[in-house]
Amino acid sequence: MSAGSKSHRVLVVDDNVGLAENIAEILELEGHAAVVATSAEEALAKLEQAGPDVLVTDYRLPGMSGAALVRRLREAGFVVHAIVISAYTDERTIEDARNAGAAFVAKPVDFEALGRLIDRSEGNA
Amino acid sequence: MKAYVGFTDEASVVLRAAHAAIAPHFGPIIDDFYATIEAHPGARAAITGGADQIDRLKKSLLRWIDELFRGPHDEAYFERRARIGRVHVQIDLPQVYMFAAMDRIRVRAQDVLRRAEGFDAERATRTATALDQILDIELAIMLETYREDLVAKNRTAERLSTIGQFAAGIGHELRNPLGVVESSAFLVSRRLQQLQVADVSVARHMDKIVSEVQRSNKTITDLLELARSKPLKRRVVDAREFVERAVPAANVPADVKVEITAPPGIPLDADPDQLARVVTNLVINASQAMGGRGHVWIDARREREETVIVVRDDGPGVPSDVRARIFEALFTTKAKGSGLGLALCRRIAEAHGGRVTLDPSDRGAAFRVTIPDAPAGSGDAA
Repeated sequence: MSAGSKSHRVLVVDDNVGLAENIAEILELEGHAAVVATSAEEALAKLEQAGPDVLVTDYRLPGMSGAALVRRLREAGFVVHAIVISAYTDERTIEDARNAGAAFVAKPVDFEALGRLIDRSEGNA
Repeated sequence: MKAYVGFTDEASVVLRAAHAAIAPHFGPIIDDFYATIEAHPGARAAITGGADQIDRLKKSLLRWIDELFRGPHDEAYFERRARIGRVHVQIDLPQVYMFAAMDRIRVRAQDVLRRAEGFDAERATRTATALDQILDIELAIMLETYREDLVAKNRTAERLSTIGQFAAGIGHELRNPLGVVESSAFLVSRRLQQLQVADVSVARHMDKIVSEVQRSNKTITDLLELARSKPLKRRVVDAREFVERAVPAANVPADVKVEITAPPGIPLDADPDQLARVVTNLVINASQAMGGRGHVWIDARREREETVIVVRDDGPGVPSDVRARIFEALFTTKAKGSGLGLALCRRIAEAHGGRVTLDPSDRGAAFRVTIPDAPAGSGDAA
């Protein structure tokens, strides 16, 4: 987190638990609070508890895409800044993420770029 | 084939007997042949070497037409003809010009035969029939070389497609564990900083983990790029500016001097994002071939409706025994190469209707990327 930027509550969703945990840990080092979920269902179940203002989610999740998860959150009235990450960088994936109102970050994740995106978020994207 | 068109030993004898009468006319027939080519813009495009090349080609055509009548029309003869066909394939001569050229020779030769001394109507007809037969065989042989080429290209395409299906599956599966290794390495480094551990050996191993993960990621990226065909987004850009933007991604060591000799103002009609990978890959190859020390020159020029970009280095060059294979996927001469770089370059250039070729040279290597302008009204320039 760069000087002057505020701490965020981030919900990190990736079915690869090792990666989800590492992203959360890196975000915590940057001064944010992070909660991990490994599926869209788990993410939805943890929403109340986590109260995130930033969502970082993998695109390919079992059962539901990351973009669909972003839409569900918005429909449920959660105002979050959403960032979709994926190793699939084809136009359809990127378009789908953007249409859901999320920023897109390609895997392998550039953690500095991810950090900057989170720093810029004000929870009302 | 000979039997099929009825080209018998007797027909061969008839042609040989006509040789003396027609030989004095070979010169004019050949001059007429090349005058016709020069008058036709499409046919002329196949000749890139100017007057010198035409002189050489005229000499080969003289040998060709001389042998056509003289024979002997044996197996070795037809094998030589197939070799000539393969040269036409190599220079991308459209088949239509091969037919037109053969017709030109047929018409002129028959014209000469009709008026030749000592040729009554019967002999002229017999010779003309033999000439028709041998020229049809010549065409069949040349068409066969085009087919051989198509079969070889299909095989490469199939191989790429198989690789592609593997790549899409395995590449993505490997991305995730690599992401964990990479992020864990990052966290370990941060933790070591916090603990103020400054251990040379630990730092070296951390660096190795990070650089090897990056290399693996690059291999996966190349595989995935090779596997999928992204639609082109063509637009006209300045070739020099395009090269200037593509070179930094090659990340060459300081001892590799990259000099862009392309003049400004040369239009390049391409998908700049996709084509940049070609230039970047060629510069990386050059840098690696020179062992991280040397000179790379990048030139660009217009040749008719094409833009040519040449990436040349003063390294050891490409050994002649591997020249034919360097564009094959998974073929590599590097200890740490994936064998995907040049296959990817070729794939991207071919998607543009262009090609990547290795120029023959005694010193260094020179790769030539040829990108034709998008056909007018093709719709992908928007």
